[in-house]
Amino acid sequence: MVPVVALIVVGAGLAAFAALRGSPGPVTSTYFLMDTVLTVTTTGGDAAAINEQLHALASGVDKLTSYYNPESETVRVNAGAGRGPMSVSPEYSALLKAAVAVEAIDHGKTFDIAIAPVSALWGFSTKDFRVPAAKEISETLAYSHSDQLTIADTTVQIQDPRARIDLGGVAKGYALDVMEEYLHTVQPQPQQVIVDFGGNLLLYSGGRKRDWKVGIRDPRGQGIIGYVRSGDAFVATSGDYERYFERDGTRYCHIIDPLTGYPGTLNQSVTVITEIQPLHGAIGDALGKVFFCSTAETQRSLFRDVQNRGVVGIVIVDAAGTQSTLGPITLVPAAAQ
Amino acid sequence: MKRSDRITAVVVLTALALVAVAWVVVHQTRGTVAVIQVDGRVVATVDLRSREPQTLHIAGVLGPLVIAVDGEGSIRVVEATCTDQICVHTVAARSPGDQIICVPNRMVITVEGEGAGIDALAQ
Repeated sequence: MVPVVALIVVGAGLAAFAALRGSPGPVTSTYFLMDTVLTVTTTGGDAAAINEQLHALASGVDKLTSYYNPESETVRVNAGAGRGPMSVSPEYSALLKAAVAVEAIDHGKTFDIAIAPVSALWGFSTKDFRVPAAKEISETLAYSHSDQLTIADTTVQIQDPRARIDLGGVAKGYALDVMEEYLHTVQPQPQQVIVDFGGNLLLYSGGRKRDWKVGIRDPRGQGIIGYVRSGDAFVATSGDYERYFERDGTRYCHIIDPLTGYPGTLNQSVTVITEIQPLHGAIGDALGKVFFCSTAETQRSLFRDVQNRGVVGIVIVDAAGTQSTLGPITLVPAAAQ
Repeated sequence: MKRSDRITAVVVLTALALVAVAWVVVHQTRGTVAVIQVDGRVVATVDLRSREPQTLHIAGVLGPLVIAVDGEGSIRVVEATCTDQICVHTVAARSPGDQIICVPNRMVITVEGEGAGIDALAQ
């Protein structure tokens, strides 16, 4: 009799515990990758295993694109600059073509995957920061342009031996593309996954959640300037407020304007929201740089070109701190929360 | 009291305790805390509601980090030996979801708590 009662009572206790706990909570994992942090928060499904797999996929993209990893295709292609076509994987070629297609919307004036030699002058690759002489910049800028590249399906050729490819401007966004593709196939499906890769986001719910609230970081003050609502999407931000150095009271940010060879000064932050479509993580990432290095007037005309190509909307804080949006999105001010 | 009654009593009390623990786990309202991790391990947890300003000295992977809690709900990195100083440039963290990251030191400060009001932060 006693064991039976004990069993029933313990069973009821455990059942109550399980019921009160409800559905499984989110599992958050943090990884260091690509000189930043990858934070994955998964709710439902085999959350811990999903997080590990997402990290493995992002590591794979780092190994494919890295400017530093001696095994990456970027390092191999750069080492062959000026020495004829180098063989690359179809995946690498497709990513280069997508990046160059984004450059083309503004004729390479605001984003260029071959700007690396100029960035290096400023010390952004070594973190040994300095302000280069104007002559140095103009001489280096002459060959730091992706018209140096000939991209075929399985080969890439760099004409000038001093020119270099750097996919740092699209790699995090592309990693989100690869992660999103995997999330669509995983079984059982998670309820939702938030991937934060250095501030670039993938919001995934398999289309179930249509009302994500995405906070927009205040580029000068604390906290957020407000939030925008979105369905599942990629969210890429380019800002001047984390990666920068100061000399004589001037701020020099890490995003180099390919037209001038100087750090962009027109905006403080640009956030691009793109639909879940193939390569739109990478495209949104690149568009962030395009809009960051554009005037308000250019931003409006460029947006007309991209708004029917999977771009949901853009949130802009210009150099004066003025906030604006492009597209059918509303920035709800932080104070109104 | 019979031996079997005592066992039943113990079992019932244990079950009740279990339910109580579950209740607390589910219904506790967490305050805003800053969790400091180095290389994936939690090295400090700071209550941001505390009115006491404090300075923390944390050993990063690269070297020491000085972290200030202002007693008004904010935490920030004031000194670090990393070359890029991104962590020092990052504005003070105070709202749930805010993060301060030092990659060379493999250090992450994350503010946790309820009432974030947003799902994710674009930055």
